[in-house]
Amino acid sequence: MNIKSVLESLMFAWGEPLNIGEMSKLLNMPAKYIAGILDEMIREFSENEDRGLIIRKFGNSYQITTKKDNYEYIQSLLQNTVTKSLSTAALETLSIIAYKQPVTKVEIEQIRGVKCSQVVKGLLDKGLVKEVGKLDKPGRPTLYATTDEFLRHFGLTSIDQLPSIDIEKEEKKAT
Amino acid sequence: MYSVNINVFQGPFDLLFHLIEKGEIDIYDIPIAEITDQYLEYLEQMMQFNMNVASEFILMASTLMEIKSEMLLPQKEKEDPRQELVTKLLEYKLFKDISEKLREYEDESSYYFSKPKEEIALTSDVQTEQLSLGEINVYELYNIYLSLLKKQNFKIEKEEKFKVYRETYRVKDCMDEIIKRIRKLGKVSLFNTFKEKGKISKEYAITFFLALLELANKQEMKIYQDHAYSDIIITG
Repeated sequence: MNIKSVLESLMFAWGEPLNIGEMSKLLNMPAKYIAGILDEMIREFSENEDRGLIIRKFGNSYQITTKKDNYEYIQSLLQNTVTKSLSTAALETLSIIAYKQPVTKVEIEQIRGVKCSQVVKGLLDKGLVKEVGKLDKPGRPTLYATTDEFLRHFGLTSIDQLPSIDIEKEEKKAT
Repeated sequence: MYSVNINVFQGPFDLLFHLIEKGEIDIYDIPIAEITDQYLEYLEQMMQFNMNVASEFILMASTLMEIKSEMLLPQKEKEDPRQELVTKLLEYKLFKDISEKLREYEDESSYYFSKPKEEIALTSDVQTEQLSLGEINVYELYNIYLSLLKKQNFKIEKEEKFKVYRETYRVKDCMDEIIKRIRKLGKVSLFNTFKEKGKISKEYAITFFLALLELANKQEMKIYQDHAYSDIIITG
């Protein structure tokens, strides 16, 4: 069995970002080992200038996509594609969830100063955030966190790739 | 028709920030009276354009006025009444900046194309095609029906002439019958009713069932069934 060949086929067949746990189960090999091989493949794919595909990593998931350089050609092939971008409200809400996760709706609303139920519902539907439990406080409010789909949507390898801010420090600066 | 050139703000903080930036104001020393006036003026505009002014905007207006009045009182050695507002504004600003950063990431990642997940049927002889009823029209349904009949080797005899028969049973009659039986027996079992009739025609069964649905619809009786395919009990 050629591991790289199998992994490439798996990612192609799956289309969407494929979780490393899934691949490790299928190949019956430790996830860490496969992660190493995938990193190698990411390098090999991007170094090969004659190929139009690359592998992108989003959190613990990997996906085969086209190269950025070929964007124009694909765009003209797909003429009528509507690039779906998120609303400002959705982006503001997402940034709060991304940095403060796990976070409740009330906390988000306090920061944004407006109600967020609809926005949060939209984000849940799009799979960009998920419920991760309940806060152990009166009313047991739901806690929200970002998903791998969030990383994929913004092309991030991991959540650490977001610009680092020290929320505590920023807040102290104000006081 | 006239076009309205008015900024849409995400919330009261967003609007306040806009005013602060426009007026090149030091956020740590906000001239509350001035900002409050501008803020209220903006709300007025929103209302003039029939925009729905969310309650959050009104709440902020009252907060601003409260701070304004506190500022007028002789200041003791206590906290600046603007402090809490500034803290909140800065926190909001922080996340607003991040959301702009996210927008950049989103644009950047739109340059990469990937294949959506597909449902791949592994066995070629099992053709399971998902059809949603909303997407299918009568003719397609008719064709599917015909192909199914063909597969099962059913033959439909084509009749050149159609005969129209007089209704043997009418829904109204069946309804009366059910009501009569319920008055007499208290409850009626669908299975028993059919059994008593001995041999029943498809037409009778359908008419009876329609009558049942009609009665339920009129809420004239209750219908029970323990589980799927079990007997149906009708009570008054």
